[in-house]
Amino acid sequence: MNAPNRHERFVVPEGEKKVEYVKDTKVQNAARFICNREDHTLGNIVRMQLHRDPNVTFSGYQIPHPLTPKVNVQVQTTKDSTPIRAFDESLTELVEEITTIKDVFQAELKNHHALISDKIRRLLVVPTGVRGTATIVV
Amino acid sequence: MVKKEKYGSSKPPPRKPKMQIRELTEDHVKFVLSETDTSIANALRRSMMTDIPTIAIDLVEVEMNTTVLNDEYLAHRLGLIPLISTQVDKMKSPLESEDDDFVDVEFTLDVTCTSDSTMDVTSDFLIPDPKYPDIVPVKYNPVADQIGGESQEGILIVKLRKNQQLKIKAIARKGIGKDHAKWNPTATAVYQFQPEIILHQAVLETLSLEQKEEWVNSWPTKAVKLNPVTQQVEVDNAELYQYDCECIAKAEAMGKPGLCTINQKTDTFIFTVESTGVLPPQQIVITALDRMLERLNTVQVALKLESQTHEDGGEFYDCKYLDIWLRCLNVWQLIS
Repeated sequence: MNAPNRHERFVVPEGEKKVEYVKDTKVQNAARFICNREDHTLGNIVRMQLHRDPNVTFSGYQIPHPLTPKVNVQVQTTKDSTPIRAFDESLTELVEEITTIKDVFQAELKNHHALISDKIRRLLVVPTGVRGTATIVV
Repeated sequence: MVKKEKYGSSKPPPRKPKMQIRELTEDHVKFVLSETDTSIANALRRSMMTDIPTIAIDLVEVEMNTTVLNDEYLAHRLGLIPLISTQVDKMKSPLESEDDDFVDVEFTLDVTCTSDSTMDVTSDFLIPDPKYPDIVPVKYNPVADQIGGESQEGILIVKLRKNQQLKIKAIARKGIGKDHAKWNPTATAVYQFQPEIILHQAVLETLSLEQKEEWVNSWPTKAVKLNPVTQQVEVDNAELYQYDCECIAKAEAMGKPGLCTINQKTDTFIFTVESTGVLPPQQIVITALDRMLERLNTVQVALKLESQTHEDGGEFYDCKYLDIWLRCLNVWQLIS
């Protein structure tokens, strides 16, 4: 009846910003990034990546309501950095890390295929009795 | 404008995750992801379940339905039939499509029961779109090709009695698991932490051989074994441990607490990904990683845009210079 469309959870409507920057009015070097149409998948990895940054004094994320597809990432940094920069760098580092995982997986896949085909080949080798020669039955 | 400087204070070096494939078959893959954070492992798992485009029946037009199941029930059942989605990249979802894009795949089904016995209507009765003959249900074996015997592997849709009829047109579309679970390509996508079993040999030595045997036998999964030669308890295969704590309870019951400690290694993840058959399992992993990259990039681009349009976008640049500038301003105010 009044249920929102399912795709509203991940499609950014026209006129809506994907990321909104809200500067904290009371604390210096603190800000909130409102990521629209996002979920824990993004919020959690960004938060954990921000924790690795020594210039970040606070980082956390919340989903204000389970029915609103929105993630708020709160960041506070020391004066050697800014929330925007810390957030941007964490994203760059995450992209690098996931690219590494992808490359490693693809290399491993190639390796695995080579290993399997080698095993199959060895199984299919039938010695013919003559030393040093073998026929491959395929 | 001041160009931003490279980081001053030391930052931990980027992680170098490792990956090792244990098992790879046409329907599942088992791999170990290590030297990374739990958040990454969990994001990968979530991404595999909700972010991968696949094809599933989305719209059903019912022309005739005299079966025992109502139209909505049938539409739901049809939606859950896994369809081979290797060609999904060529498709566009209705949300992103323009006029002449490849959006719809039309299946038809027309069955009437003529026999006295009950008839099973399975996914094998679906007739694929002549334009896309490769988009078919998983393990599809068209009824027309079946000689004699009934279909074995087709997915049951409905059962018909004599003279009942079902005639429908079903339109399959591209979608993701976040929209509806029918687009989820995984049957299982889980990871477990590598268990770390530490046996305290000093305490174990106070047990008799029988007691040792009794304790080893109390493990529901045999992660440890009793070495018959040295008569010592050894860790055999730590991964078999299911975090059931039976061994700890048993040790306490025997009056010997602290026989072993068990920790989780939180940087090693043993993944098991099982495909429903719509995509090869390795493809699911790769696409999930691609989709994660895509999402991070979208956010990063949006962040750049937002920081530029925002009035204090200057924050993006180094604060040290801003400090100097403010100090100069103060000095200038003092002078004037």
